[in-house]
Amino acid sequence: MKWEVFRQEKTKDYHTHVGNVHAPNAEMAKQYAQIMHARRKPANSLWVVPKEEIEEVHADERGVEMGGTTQKEYRWATNYNTDETFAEEIEDSQREQEAAERDLAEADR
Amino acid sequence: MDLETVTERAGPREFGPGDEMPEEYREAATRMIQFHANSEIMGAYIERPFIRQAPSLDRKLAVSAQVQDEIGHGQLLYRAAEELGVKSRERMLEELASGEGKFLNCFHYPLDDWYELPMIMFFVDGAAMRRQATLKRTSWEPYAHAIDKICFEEGFHIKHGEDILRTIATGSRKDQQRLQAAFEKWWPRILQFFGPTDDDSTHGEFAMEVGLKTMSNDDLRNAFLNAYVPKAKKYGLELPEYPRVEYHESDDYYEVYEEDLDWSEFFTVARNELPTGAGQIEKRRRSQAAVEWVRDAIESPGQGGATPAAADD
Repeated sequence: MKWEVFRQEKTKDYHTHVGNVHAPNAEMAKQYAQIMHARRKPANSLWVVPKEEIEEVHADERGVEMGGTTQKEYRWATNYNTDETFAEEIEDSQREQEAAERDLAEADR
Repeated sequence: MDLETVTERAGPREFGPGDEMPEEYREAATRMIQFHANSEIMGAYIERPFIRQAPSLDRKLAVSAQVQDEIGHGQLLYRAAEELGVKSRERMLEELASGEGKFLNCFHYPLDDWYELPMIMFFVDGAAMRRQATLKRTSWEPYAHAIDKICFEEGFHIKHGEDILRTIATGSRKDQQRLQAAFEKWWPRILQFFGPTDDDSTHGEFAMEVGLKTMSNDDLRNAFLNAYVPKAKKYGLELPEYPRVEYHESDDYYEVYEEDLDWSEFFTVARNELPTGAGQIEKRRRSQAAVEWVRDAIESPGQGGATPAAADD
């Protein structure tokens, strides 16, 4: 049985996918996950999830549009040229959106 | 975990569904997040008519994207509240529809025309964003996670709101006059957004102690006024003489003269008893009833049902 492993590096971080392990049950999966994915890299917590319990939707599937494949610049802060620096929180949001836009452009190439 | 330990450990993203939290914490967090979730939903209902009334296709698309975002924020927040184990999402939605659920004062008033829209989209959303940014450090981790996504998206809302504000403010003389009128009508409500000063609400102190809140209402109001009063001036808006707002440069704070604001109306709003607010709740109740068949169909697929009612107004 396959288990997908999610590692949280430091307390309060998000858990992110790091790979999978083969194990007959949750107990063993947790042990293997520790050995495989938390031995060298810093880890605060691990989640193991039965692979068959994970459903996927893929960007290449027919009729699926994810990650800004359609033209929707009107829903980005960067589309409006008002000044965002007057409030720290608006500036943060704008910077996050700029980073996301760069990632999207990167993925497009 | 007992309350003493909670107070000692309280810090950003400190507690999550894996922790045994005391009743007082779970109830305070539920009250706060449910209020926030309800406000997202009711805010979306205030803005929704402007998808139709938008003067251009660009504006229409952007307003519709905003309404979609706000409903999504509501859903994220109900999930974060649900994980406290006090109320189910279904129960919170029922409370909102029945008039029991509470939400932000500004969403109890209707928006009469396009000139009033930036009052919500720029000033009220801006005030909300100020508060939300401080909640990235709330002690209930699922709440902080929802806030991460909300703050990511919200920058677009406020910049689009300012863009509308700027367009009107740089328009004809008549546009400017109508904008000023809208501002004067909304300004007192905006000043009441963070509640009465010094009082810091009945629940505020406990919420600060256990790290749910990280900034007092008074400090939030000051930070908001510091950023948004100059913006209002930049677009030629004049602060009305009453309610009086004074800036004390030496201590960098704004004094809002409490007695100039209508607190009896504020508390009527807080009890969901303002007629226009009751109307908004009723609108929400009807919409929820109209899409009951969708929820039923999702819960038990494969069963035929009656002809659906329109989900529209």
